[in-house]
Amino acid sequence: MTNCENIRDSIGRWLDGELSAGESEPVRAHVAACPECGEARRQLESLQRALRGVLLTEATPIEFMPFWREVQRRINQKRAWYEDFLDWAREVFTAPRIAWGVPAVIVLLLAAVSLDSYFPGTRFGGSRNSFASVESIDAHGRSVALLRENESKTTVIWLYQNEEGENETGEDSSKSGPTF
Amino acid sequence: MQLSDRELVQRCQAGEMNAFQDLVSRYHQKVYMVILGLLRNREDALDVAQETFFRAYRKINSFQGDSSFYTWIYRIAVNMSIDAQRRQKRNPLDFRASMDGVLEAQHEVAKDPFGDVHDKELREKLVQAINGLTPEHKAVIVLRTIEGRSYKDIGEILGCSEGTVMSRLHYARKKLQGKLKAFL
Repeated sequence: MTNCENIRDSIGRWLDGELSAGESEPVRAHVAACPECGEARRQLESLQRALRGVLLTEATPIEFMPFWREVQRRINQKRAWYEDFLDWAREVFTAPRIAWGVPAVIVLLLAAVSLDSYFPGTRFGGSRNSFASVESIDAHGRSVALLRENESKTTVIWLYQNEEGENETGEDSSKSGPTF
Repeated sequence: MQLSDRELVQRCQAGEMNAFQDLVSRYHQKVYMVILGLLRNREDALDVAQETFFRAYRKINSFQGDSSFYTWIYRIAVNMSIDAQRRQKRNPLDFRASMDGVLEAQHEVAKDPFGDVHDKELREKLVQAINGLTPEHKAVIVLRTIEGRSYKDIGEILGCSEGTVMSRLHYARKKLQGKLKAFL
């Protein structure tokens, strides 16, 4: 980054009074000497004036008493229980909390479901399940199956079959791809 | 003798409605201006400002005095305005009403002899450019321009660091300058 780019990045903070005296002086000296950075300063000041013009002048003063009477009316108004609940929910379930909370809940649920595999006696989630993977290599090729077993039945929940020699020969796998 | 904000808050926590009325009279205009800057619609801004003070009254007992009262009330106001802006974006009818409010405001401003900005086209472009900012970027621009708050204060109000305020301001100004290049 060149010196001019550094200075231009600092002009906003300088005009806002957010730079210390030591930081301000090099910016001031450079802007005074460099026509391009001087132009950047002029444009930023022009933008600030325009912003103040739009944001400050359009706000006509509001009368206090009508404003206060409406606030008082809301304070004295009896509210339904669900309005209080919605207010509470809006405060608790903010966007950042949801962004963290949803993945956290998913992880906790997955952990709870898999607890039974590590602690078979807990019966978490109702029936007792156990998972097993079976791998076999025979004349038809290589097969891998993921099985779920409970007290009454065994279910194949995932099956992978690969024809013999595919990996060894390195032939085009699209001709004999895995079947599910 | 005029009581400080802290003393008024303490009286309010003790149940004195008059103390809360004094706080509202002290801040209602500023809070309304900030909300108007964010929402660009007078009716919505008035409603959100009144709701801000209503919420503040309900939560006044939880106010511990860690920050100043104005930081606390502005935080409520800005959060409610950001929520309202998101609702405006989801509801096209509300958004249209908002734009009507902006056009009406422009008409009134054009008659204002004290306005710094006289060029109507620049004003229209600037209003459009402000509306194009995200609620978070608009919030830093409004708090800095209307209130002249320091980056630290703005960070406390928005619940973010000074560095975040600085980068949001830098980005927002760049974006506005880009859209208004021909006018500046």
